[in-house]
Amino acid sequence: MNISRLRNLVNRAWMAMKWKKSIYVALLLLALMIVPLSSRGQLGLDPCCAIISAGLNAISGLLKSVVAKPLSQIQQIEQQASSFEQQVVFPTTAINNARSVATQLQAQMGQINQLFRLPVNSATLPTPQQLEQSLLSHNPQLLAQVSQNYGAVYGTVMAPTDAPQPVRDLVDMSDAEAQAALKKAVELDALADVELAVADQINKQIQTAAPGSAPILEAQASAWLVRANAYTQSAMAEVLRVRSIDLANSGAQFKFNATDVNTLRNNTGQAMGHGAQ
Amino acid sequence: MNRFIKRRVLVLFLAGLLVPVAANAGITDIITLLTTISSTLQNAIGTVLGGIQSIRTTITQFEQQVVWPVALINETKNEVAQVRSQFSTLARQIETLPTSSASLANPKQLEGLLRSQQAANLPQINSFYTQVFQTLPPADQATTTQRNLIDVDDALALGALKTATASDQGSQQMLSIADSLEQEAAASAPGSAPIVTAQTAVANLQNQAMLQRLLAAELRQEAARLAHENALRKQSADANRTLRNNLQQILSR
Repeated sequence: MNISRLRNLVNRAWMAMKWKKSIYVALLLLALMIVPLSSRGQLGLDPCCAIISAGLNAISGLLKSVVAKPLSQIQQIEQQASSFEQQVVFPTTAINNARSVATQLQAQMGQINQLFRLPVNSATLPTPQQLEQSLLSHNPQLLAQVSQNYGAVYGTVMAPTDAPQPVRDLVDMSDAEAQAALKKAVELDALADVELAVADQINKQIQTAAPGSAPILEAQASAWLVRANAYTQSAMAEVLRVRSIDLANSGAQFKFNATDVNTLRNNTGQAMGHGAQ
Repeated sequence: MNRFIKRRVLVLFLAGLLVPVAANAGITDIITLLTTISSTLQNAIGTVLGGIQSIRTTITQFEQQVVWPVALINETKNEVAQVRSQFSTLARQIETLPTSSASLANPKQLEGLLRSQQAANLPQINSFYTQVFQTLPPADQATTTQRNLIDVDDALALGALKTATASDQGSQQMLSIADSLEQEAAASAPGSAPIVTAQTAVANLQNQAMLQRLLAAELRQEAARLAHENALRKQSADANRTLRNNLQQILSR
């Protein structure tokens, strides 16, 4: 009895153990899966690690020789170039000195401008005074007054009954040229005022200019200079015209005299002929 | 019993699937990778950096030896200073040579004022001018037309003389400006020279304006001369008409 009971008990235990064994085996496998595997490669024991190490060393050497060295030389070149530009090409002291000269010149130019603003009028009679005032006005709006005041001082073309047509033509042409020259002088004064204002403004900008912006101002001033030269050229042409008309007048006077002498000779001849008859 | 065996086999199969396999990249792959990196460093990066270095060196040498050679810059500065000292002095000597030649007292005084290069003397010019060229005739000694002509002639002549005197002073100041600019040019650097050049252009513009002022005065004078001669013709015509009228009146008596 006891023996059979014991056997049953053993059998049950054996069966239970078989189930547990399966569970244990499963747990053991799971543990094997979870437990991390040791990494190999340290201590240069693995040939793969030796190759990687050699490769990285080669790369490090290349970085030093192929990358770092040229970069260092480039940096040195840049530093040298920067120093050269700052000390030789664009030294701040020289730039500031040039600007300060512009400030000094501003004052001197202002004084020169004032010189040409000093009064130079001196007519004493009312009619010449009016003409002089319009001539020295620097105001192109007053050009119409120039002709009016000119006529008051120098008179107008004589009436057809008072002079032959050629003489009247000559006088009219001469008056026209004289008035044109006077008007041109007023325009020229006004243009000079404009140019001086431009020069003053550009010079103010130069006082704060940089080496890179100064050529732009120079170009602008040069453009105005070309313009001013053109105005001067135009005035020179007017001078030429007025002198040419003066010269032509002298020539015309000789021609009139020759005609008059010829007329006188003919008239004298006729008178002598009448006398002889 | 078979059921249990099947389960065990299944468990073992699944466990086998889940067990991590060692990542064997392979030595060949690693060598290929390292070779690629080395090649990139040597060829792609190293060559480019070498090229940049070479270009930068060339540019720097070009700038320092061809564009802005220090020796030539200094030589040019010295040249500017030398030209300034040599020729500006010579020009100054020529420019200050005396040109006055009046011998009598009144003309001497007037000439002295006209060549004084001092705009402050402008008011004095009038009085000395009248001493030399006389005053306007009184109304009972000349016709109104004649007096107007004389007055405007005098006014334009005086105006031109005063303008010339003021212009002389302006010229002196402009010479001073030119000297300052030249001095600055001698001390300038390639980078500051454009500022000086711009100032020179401005001074040149102002100079042109001064020249135009003188031309305007000359134009007035030339025009006045022409107008004066023309006015004489008109007066002559008037005189002829008056003479004709008078003769007709005499003959009609």
